Amino acid sequence: LSHVMATTFFRSIFRVLPLLLLLSPVNSSSCAMGNRTTQIREKYENILSHDIDELVNMSAEYRDRCCKNKKHENSKVFFCNDTQEIESLQSMACNMLRFFHKQKISKDYRWKAALVSCGTLQVLQCKCERHKKDKVCMQVNTHNKDTEKSEQSKKKCNQEFCELKENISSLRSCWNKFEKIIFR
Amino acid sequence: MQGPAPLWWPCSPQTAQDVASSCVGRTGAGTAQRKEGAEEPAWVPGAADGDVPCLPRAPLGHGTATHRCGAQWCLSLVGVECVLFNEEYMTCMWGSRETLTANYSLYYWYENRSPVEECKHYLQDQGVSIGCYFNRSEIIQFQPFRVLINASLGSRTLKILSKPMELQDLVKPEAPVNLTIRNMSSNQLQLTWTSPYPKAQCLEHAVKYKSNKDTNWTHQVKGDIFSLPSVDYEKYYTFYVRSKINSYCGSTQLWSEWSVPVVWGSNSTSKGRATDVPTPLLWRCAGQGSMSPQLFPGTAEEQLHWFWIHTVLIPIASCLLLLVLVVLLVRMERVWVILMPRIPNPSKNFDELFITHNGNFQEWAGVPKDVVESFRPNYSENICYVSELPPKDSCEPLWESGNHPPSVMPGAPAAPREHSPYKNSYVGV
Repeated sequence: LSHVMATTFFRSIFRVLPLLLLLSPVNSSSCAMGNRTTQIREKYENILSHDIDELVNMSAEYRDRCCKNKKHENSKVFFCNDTQEIESLQSMACNMLRFFHKQKISKDYRWKAALVSCGTLQVLQCKCERHKKDKVCMQVNTHNKDTEKSEQSKKKCNQEFCELKENISSLRSCWNKFEKIIFR
Repeated sequence: MQGPAPLWWPCSPQTAQDVASSCVGRTGAGTAQRKEGAEEPAWVPGAADGDVPCLPRAPLGHGTATHRCGAQWCLSLVGVECVLFNEEYMTCMWGSRETLTANYSLYYWYENRSPVEECKHYLQDQGVSIGCYFNRSEIIQFQPFRVLINASLGSRTLKILSKPMELQDLVKPEAPVNLTIRNMSSNQLQLTWTSPYPKAQCLEHAVKYKSNKDTNWTHQVKGDIFSLPSVDYEKYYTFYVRSKINSYCGSTQLWSEWSVPVVWGSNSTSKGRATDVPTPLLWRCAGQGSMSPQLFPGTAEEQLHWFWIHTVLIPIASCLLLLVLVVLLVRMERVWVILMPRIPNPSKNFDELFITHNGNFQEWAGVPKDVVESFRPNYSENICYVSELPPKDSCEPLWESGNHPPSVMPGAPAAPREHSPYKNSYVGV
């Protein structure tokens, strides 16, 4: 009997352990731990908010008639969850980075959006799950965009542009929520 | 047929029954038209978005656009406006007093969050619903908010669906209160205030001020404190403050109302000039829209009093003083002579010349008569020949040595009556 009990005990352990190993990456955060709300707020107000304003102004300059009444995929990334503003911002910023290589979107706009995404991740001290996106930030931070000739013509409205625009709007709103609620 | 822009558009009826569906036209923001096969006309947005179809037989009103084409009336509502007042309550308005008489109902929801609910508190004007009131518990910020307005008239119903709204971008804070001015060193004023809005870090403020000598207001957007350097103690300043949600917490252009003003300085009509150090007059406003009356005792009367002194008494007194001075000046010769000295007149010295001697200058001057005679142009003088008598026992007279006639005067003129420059030379003894 003791032998059977021991076998049963170890079998149950071995079933649980793999389950724990499987679930642990989902629960772990890729953002730095610790209460850094004051530092985050300072960097947002002094630096990042101005870049976000510029990006929003750029959004208004492009044609967006094709964006009316459209529902987009991955709509869950556009919500800023209560008490999870930092995680929501990280998710939005990482999602925005995938537009960096979309050729249908104006290059200036893509660069600015990537700059804001990388700035958000830097301020929050977060990383994206896919390391490929971190390479975008290295490219954006080291490459001097000003030396290149900026585009003269604006591209036609397309769905990728609409998605990026909505993502930017959500990111800004989530930052507003973070700033407003931080001193609740 | 075009009427007054931008609310009128032509109406082209197709059938007697389907009058509303035939409305085709435009407003300043877009076009309402019915596409083939569609039951109701649809709004094709231009500069602004929104569904604005047509509703027949409706009178013209504020916030609506109508057109009359024969017996047909078309209605369109231009949209709904929602404002959060200090994050305490919200109103969504779609009309005003002139809104057409129809049955309105509002439904709202937060996208992907809550079920559709009807407005619990309608705002009415003369029995017509023109808006909806939301209390704090019904307001959720940072969630896309949408409303649907049903307008029914007779058998026809109009539905207007709003765009998703972000309520944090529709916040209008209350005006600042407790405006206080402090005198800092080196002629500097510091203005502070408090805001009824709960999250002060989300506000930006604007100050406008001017003195009693300025014509235009000066506007400045500031943080929480406003400083005015180098104030003039002779001037009288008025300050207003208003607030807005800053870009860190939202994206809105809704400023609050201007606060109750605060003033500082010495009024130029006051008697404060007699003192060496002008005393600044400080007011502190007790609350919004109210001022304590005892803080301004008799201000209007004092102002009227000083007005009469400045514009009437002082000019009259100045004129009288001037008149007295002029009279004194004219009457008192001693003063007049000092101011206007007499021009010297030497004629008295020559009275004897003109009166006694009849202008005869020589006579008056005492010039001898013969000198006077000598100055006459026709003067002639007889030549006085002078000869020397020879002695008795001496030699022959000199004239015998030659044939020369005796010349009594060496160099004597042959024609003594001739005019000669030498004739006046004295040749005789």
